[in-house]
Amino acid sequence: MITSTLRNLYGWRWLAIPPVTGVAVMAMIIGALIVAPPEAIEGDVQRILYLHFPSILAAYGAFAVVFVASIVVLWRGDLRYDAVARGAASVGVLFTGLTLATGALWGKPVWGVYWTWDARLTSTLVLFLIYAAYLLARAMADELDEQAARFAAVFAILGAFDIPLIMFSVTWWRTLHPQPIVLRGLERPALPPEMLIVLLIAFLGISALAVWLGVLRTDTELLAKRTAVLRATIDRREGA
Amino acid sequence: MSPAVAVMAKDLRLAWRDRAGWASAGAFATIAVLTYSFAFDLATGDVRPLLPGVLWTTFLFAGIFAGGQSFARESEEGTFDALLLSPVSPTMIYVGKATANVLAMLAIEFAQLLLATILFGTSLVSPELLVIVFIGTVGAVSLTTLLSTMSASMRGRAMLLPVMALPLLVPLLIGAVRATAASLDLDAGTAPWTLLLGVFALWSTLLSVLLFPLAVER
Repeated sequence: MITSTLRNLYGWRWLAIPPVTGVAVMAMIIGALIVAPPEAIEGDVQRILYLHFPSILAAYGAFAVVFVASIVVLWRGDLRYDAVARGAASVGVLFTGLTLATGALWGKPVWGVYWTWDARLTSTLVLFLIYAAYLLARAMADELDEQAARFAAVFAILGAFDIPLIMFSVTWWRTLHPQPIVLRGLERPALPPEMLIVLLIAFLGISALAVWLGVLRTDTELLAKRTAVLRATIDRREGA
Repeated sequence: MSPAVAVMAKDLRLAWRDRAGWASAGAFATIAVLTYSFAFDLATGDVRPLLPGVLWTTFLFAGIFAGGQSFARESEEGTFDALLLSPVSPTMIYVGKATANVLAMLAIEFAQLLLATILFGTSLVSPELLVIVFIGTVGAVSLTTLLSTMSASMRGRAMLLPVMALPLLVPLLIGAVRATAASLDLDAGTAPWTLLLGVFALWSTLLSVLLFPLAVER
């Protein structure tokens, strides 16, 4: 029942997701650039928040999908979920990278540096590296290699369980150290309502974009698997 | 004899007969320490603040290097498939292999500690530090053993293993370096960092034991 509903929903993906994404992303751009008021101290630079914050949330969502899909790969041995995990991982890496990049662009005018070894920055970078390694590991084996899919799934699960340890240890590592003075102005007051609404719209737009990209990547992976199967069949027939 | 002990004995016997593999890991560790001493000019001044980092990066790189190599041979010779076909639970195979790797790594690390003691004039063979090295080695090797099993059959494994292992080992590296620094009286109290190290070792051992059978199932 639930699976068939899900499958029906998945069948509608090309009709539903792109228009929603388009409208939401346009609304986000207009909201972030025109509607939202400039921040009192940071000025226009603060507008990068509307891209920065939703991006990391989308990345976390994508990594959660990788985790669940990886469990299904190990549990059922279903390679379609390997495609889902790969698709979600590429989206997660993309949006983590976007978070790091927008953070650096914001950091230069506000903190005075592009990068600082703050706990949150460092753990986000490690997160980026773990899932980039996942994509590399999976890319180095065939699409149809079930063993490689299992290995990648095990690695993804290891990575997911490592995240709390990394966050904890990196926080400890930094807080037992003197904090750089530039970081002190971080505690921002609660956002005024206009900013919050734009942020919500941005969150919607980025989420829709992430889902769309994830679905695109997953479909590409599934097609690549089918192509590999077809190629193997042709090779066998020609050999016979 | 328990199957885990048998696998461990087999691995250690192989490591002993074909000494080149582990010897090159040991040589690599020695050369790494020497490279660091040229790069940071460890011959002059107070080297002690740099030592924990130098030692642990060397241990981790040597461990990854040696672990990857030991499995590469197994997959070339088909030993690993034969092991999996035998009526032994994969958990036992994993425990045996990881124990053998931990023992071999500890030998290399002990030699490095002795060497660094001589080279840098700092006593590094204290009971406290040996406990820290032991816990850190268990934590790192349990994870690299699992990862090297997995990457053994992949293309470009030599590059892949460090890329996969090092980000996961960040908490271990932080804990080990800080605990070592504290045991050399460079930092306050070893206790919190040893605890972090212990938690990581427990985490990586448990998770690897649980995930290994799932990874090699076919």
